[in-house]
Amino acid sequence: MLESTRVKLPAAGASRRPGARRGPLAGVRVADFCWMGVGACATRLLADFGAEVIRIEDRNRLDMPRRLPIYKGEARTYGEEDANPDPNKGGLFNNYNRNKLGVTINMRSPKGRALADRLIAASSVVTENFAPGVMERWGLTYERLNQISPDVIYARMSGFGHSGPHAEYRSYGPVVQAVCGLSHISGLPGEEPSGWGLSYMDNEAAFFNASALLTAIYHRGLTGQGAEIDVAAVEAGINLLGPVLLEVSVNGRSTRGGDYPTGNRLEHPNAAPHGVYPCEGQDRWIAIAVFNDAEWAALAAEIGADWTADPRFASQAARFANQDALDAHMADWTKGQDRYGLMRRLQAAGVAAGAVQTAEDTNDHDPQIAGRGLFFEMDHPVIGEARFEGTPIRFRETLQENWRSGPLLGEDNAYVFKELLGVAEDEYQDLVMEGAL
Amino acid sequence: MGAEHLSFAARTAGLPNPLTGLKVVELAEDPGGEFTGLLLAQLGAEVVKLEGPEGSPTRAAGPWAKGAEGPETSLKFWFYNSNKKSVTADVRTPAGLAALQDLLADADVFICTLQPHALAAAGLDLEAILEAHPKLIIAAVTAFGLTGPWKDYKSSDIVALAAGGPLNSCGYDDHTIPPIRPGGDQAYHTVASFAQIGIMLALLERQKTGRGDLLDISMHEACAVNVELANPYWFYPRVHVHRQTCRHAQPSPTQPALFRCADDRYVYFALILAEPKAWKSLVDWMDSKGMAAMLTEPEYQDVKFRQDNFHLVQEVVECFFLVHTAEEMYREGQAAGLPIGVLNAPEDLFHDEHLIARDFFARVEHEGVGEVAYPGPIYRFSSFCEVARTPAPKLGEHNAEILKSEAGS
Repeated sequence: MLESTRVKLPAAGASRRPGARRGPLAGVRVADFCWMGVGACATRLLADFGAEVIRIEDRNRLDMPRRLPIYKGEARTYGEEDANPDPNKGGLFNNYNRNKLGVTINMRSPKGRALADRLIAASSVVTENFAPGVMERWGLTYERLNQISPDVIYARMSGFGHSGPHAEYRSYGPVVQAVCGLSHISGLPGEEPSGWGLSYMDNEAAFFNASALLTAIYHRGLTGQGAEIDVAAVEAGINLLGPVLLEVSVNGRSTRGGDYPTGNRLEHPNAAPHGVYPCEGQDRWIAIAVFNDAEWAALAAEIGADWTADPRFASQAARFANQDALDAHMADWTKGQDRYGLMRRLQAAGVAAGAVQTAEDTNDHDPQIAGRGLFFEMDHPVIGEARFEGTPIRFRETLQENWRSGPLLGEDNAYVFKELLGVAEDEYQDLVMEGAL
Repeated sequence: MGAEHLSFAARTAGLPNPLTGLKVVELAEDPGGEFTGLLLAQLGAEVVKLEGPEGSPTRAAGPWAKGAEGPETSLKFWFYNSNKKSVTADVRTPAGLAALQDLLADADVFICTLQPHALAAAGLDLEAILEAHPKLIIAAVTAFGLTGPWKDYKSSDIVALAAGGPLNSCGYDDHTIPPIRPGGDQAYHTVASFAQIGIMLALLERQKTGRGDLLDISMHEACAVNVELANPYWFYPRVHVHRQTCRHAQPSPTQPALFRCADDRYVYFALILAEPKAWKSLVDWMDSKGMAAMLTEPEYQDVKFRQDNFHLVQEVVECFFLVHTAEEMYREGQAAGLPIGVLNAPEDLFHDEHLIARDFFARVEHEGVGEVAYPGPIYRFSSFCEVARTPAPKLGEHNAEILKSEAGS
């Protein structure tokens, strides 16, 4: 079933010159003012499926992912930026911006803004994730965009949304995670929250923004009407809190103090054992989750030790009530074992178990992912052969086309301005000279 | 945007719902499939949930409304299944299978969470269903996907976060403590997000070609691309990131970003020593409250000096936060242009002035319980009416209305 995925890669030596796009979004041109994580990740999902996404960048204010020192052959931590980075070397930018075109426009110059208007007029979707007010300063309200490009879809992605007293608050992933409650509900009871070790809400907000854009494009296909879209990452995050929000609103549960949050233990259902246990090696772990007596019996048979017959572990309720003792035995049993061997053995017995994998593991050692081709390579003029994270959806019919790695800074200026917009050669040279590009 | 934009709901009253007219059949036995159906239902699609005679497994899991255990009082079920219809039929019997086929005859989308072995046991062949209904969009939302050596492995939220990679980045600085699963069912939410995207892409494809599609969406893979920096740090410099308390996992340790406040609440604030503007804002703000201490001294104007003495800076900032409330630090810090976030608990959100001003929470009347606050819409569209949130259906509530045969009785 679905042995071959409908992902197309360019032929070896294919030109970087943009060509006609294929896929469900072919024919949709996006004037993309997005940057950073949320915006770039959202419009990547459009670019993967045939939209002509034209990234508009500013030479004088490089996109942070172009500056972050995630370079081939150089290991530096986020925050230890290069003072004079090569904007075409950033791995994070490349991963976020494959399949997009790249142009530069100086929006502080009147000629630059006029050029942006022409690009918008030739597009049917406009995307942005600046702090509220920036697009307005350039005169780019929905009403005006709709005049320039009738029935335009205008997607606005921000932390707090475009109305309300905190609309101007600054945010990025960890701030959103804090404010929406996701950080607070994560951690060991009685300890400071462990929260998230990544900008989870940058990704999730990006996925929801992509969904909203696709929904609006679908609706326009049916009715011809455009839309303005306002997605606030904080509000998206509250939708991801799940049932605990209803426990608070229905039962008045307090999530402060006591046994909350629950670390790796699960209250609903009363799963036990349910946790992350040490394995052979440094910082190597396995997650094991047992939801009923049958799974416990299977696990106990694999363990094969007398302690599993302890009356304290005789029922789901008893195991749940005695998790401290149970977890101590479990950790003692797992700690000398190879995490993959244990995972295979428990899964064969019908117990949910998963090695805690690193990015190296999922990329280079995971037989499930390898067989399905999730990660892939494309060539890049500066980075060389570069790896990408794909889309975890296999379509039988719908085409995902990966035609090019991330654009160099201003790589498509001549193509977009001269060929697509019809800017004459002398005018183009003037724009370059005057610093409008 | 000005005050005229405060309520999208008011501006859009009377407009259509975005997915009006779209019919979805959901055969989901975990929150991944159920959240996928919910995301479509919240945009106005008609989602018919096909449950076994005992009901969805989420009906049997707490938390429980007012502590009363039962299939109609699971808050987990309420959360994931509002705005849907429920019909009962056992797809593991011929009559149930026939009922499913009836439902699929005029459906646009079929969401199915059964893993390959369960599909085979139920006699469900997704390829054959697509052949019989060429316009149908089938979204198989499963733990590991429909193919591959792990396709029938058991999963759960914590197992998926572990094997997919996000868990490796989450936890505490102290690595004798295992990685800690972030709260909520986030592996399931992640796969549902991709399932929604896939379904919309397939609907757009169908708009052009008239053809349906079969989508194979893996929770394992959805997690494996939801690790943010961990992948590019492996792709390019080939280094690992290491978990750090409530902040980005990185190749090397960074300074703590959680600050405890006077009211025992926390704020998140990543001190960016290298940015002159942010540094000046911070010091001016602290100085205005008489707590900048030595940070106003000339040598602290120098980035290198700040970086070399960051532990001293960290201590002074810790003291500053420790004598003020978290809410005060959040508002004042943001007013000073600093990206500070208060760590809200869920119960705090109902009192948040910004969410109140945006009229975010949805109030849903539940029989015997009263008004319940649900999260409001994820998206606000100027061209669509907001879809009202309605309570999750009772088990088999729509059998008489929807099922043709006696399969549901």
